[in-house]
Amino acid sequence: MDDKQKNIPQLIEIEPMQDGYRWVAITAMLLAIGIILHTVSPNVGGVTPNWTIAMYSIVINLTNPKLSQAIGIGFIAGLTLVPSSKSAFPLGNIASELTGATVCCVLVKAMLSVGLENWKLRPFVTGLMATMASGGVFTFILKIVLNLPLSVWIYAMLPVVATVGVLNGLITYLMYAPVRKLFYVQEDKD
Amino acid sequence: MENVIQLENFYFAYKRSDLVLRDIDLNIKKGSFTVIAGPSGAGKTTLCKAMTGIVPYYMGGRYSGDVKVLGESTKGKKVSDIAMRVGFIMEDYESQLVSLTAGEEVAFSLLNHGFAPAEVAERTRKALEDVGLPGRESYQLDELSGGQRQRLLLASVLAVHPEIIVLDEPVSAMDPDGAISLYKLVYDIHRRYGTTIVVVEHRTDYLLPYATDMIVLKEGAVVAADKFELAAPAMYADEVLRPLLPSLWQVKLGLEERFGVKLGDWRNEKDALADLKAQGFERRAD
Repeated sequence: MDDKQKNIPQLIEIEPMQDGYRWVAITAMLLAIGIILHTVSPNVGGVTPNWTIAMYSIVINLTNPKLSQAIGIGFIAGLTLVPSSKSAFPLGNIASELTGATVCCVLVKAMLSVGLENWKLRPFVTGLMATMASGGVFTFILKIVLNLPLSVWIYAMLPVVATVGVLNGLITYLMYAPVRKLFYVQEDKD
Repeated sequence: MENVIQLENFYFAYKRSDLVLRDIDLNIKKGSFTVIAGPSGAGKTTLCKAMTGIVPYYMGGRYSGDVKVLGESTKGKKVSDIAMRVGFIMEDYESQLVSLTAGEEVAFSLLNHGFAPAEVAERTRKALEDVGLPGRESYQLDELSGGQRQRLLLASVLAVHPEIIVLDEPVSAMDPDGAISLYKLVYDIHRRYGTTIVVVEHRTDYLLPYATDMIVLKEGAVVAADKFELAAPAMYADEVLRPLLPSLWQVKLGLEERFGVKLGDWRNEKDALADLKAQGFERRAD
């Protein structure tokens, strides 16, 4: 055995105290970035990535918050979208982002519990599913408010939601590693 | 002499790393000016974080052993409370600046700990004066140079009247004149207020005039932790650590080894020249 490995006592594992507040700071910062990108992103062929969903998906993947915290994140994210929303029912954003954040949180917890902590596609899958859930709820509310036929929702709205979902999944996937590096840079080095 | 920081059989690893500190057993004496030296990756920064309670409880990870600051274990203590007694200046000091003006920066931690406004104002004024920035309360941070911002951070640490100040490579981004000037200031504070100083520095030449004690780390373990003049020979004996000694001491210990003489406690060139002359070493033109 290596000399250095000899006589090392049993080490006590301890969770960082800083995470008590860190998730709040990371959420605030990323949601703010999301709002700016949401405001300036051009609409290409009727499709715009929903930066806010991508940002809270990254936050939830990074910090693995409690379900109640994720609901809080979703509520705040929804509120930030209401003022700039051009849809027929802006308040629908609150319900849709609550759903998106909840789905993302449940998925992250499920993946962590089955050992998919280091699965590289975790941010993509959770970003995609959060967007699908959020978009599905939002467009369904629109369908009800505007009294649209079910076929319009299924054949016209859901395909757009799926496209945005793939875009958001990609954004979440691509931004997860750099953001993680930015916020957790001190953990693994001396 | 009373110990203000004690590490007892302390081991530490970050969440996803191997052991960074191994079996650290050392004491920092009250009123000492201690230098922590060692190659990159030796665990110097982590040791500083352990002394300020950031490691292991704030950052998390795996640990064994205990760290006591001013007689109390850091276990269960909030970093902000420890900071009232142990000031910490990180290598990336800019990340510690949080306010818009110099006055607000110095007052920040005092206000967070509920000091009365009149006392905050007085302590802010005095701290800025102590670091050579008198009357700069209203200056925006971007109106200050890099060196002045570092002095400002020192002022914000001083304002809480800490018994210990830990500095992690505070001059790594400074030119030699700036570095010499900052360490003079730190020494002045050490002498005036009796503050215990712990400095991580790989350019130990800057600290030779001031260091009373030295801790030498290598691969996360303590090679030597003693009075400077006793720890230096242990550092000299290791070829990897030897270049990290102050240049004058590399010469001194080299001469002692080669000629079997015993030279004095050199702290500057003047000491060295006087001692060499007394020992019969003569200057040769060739």
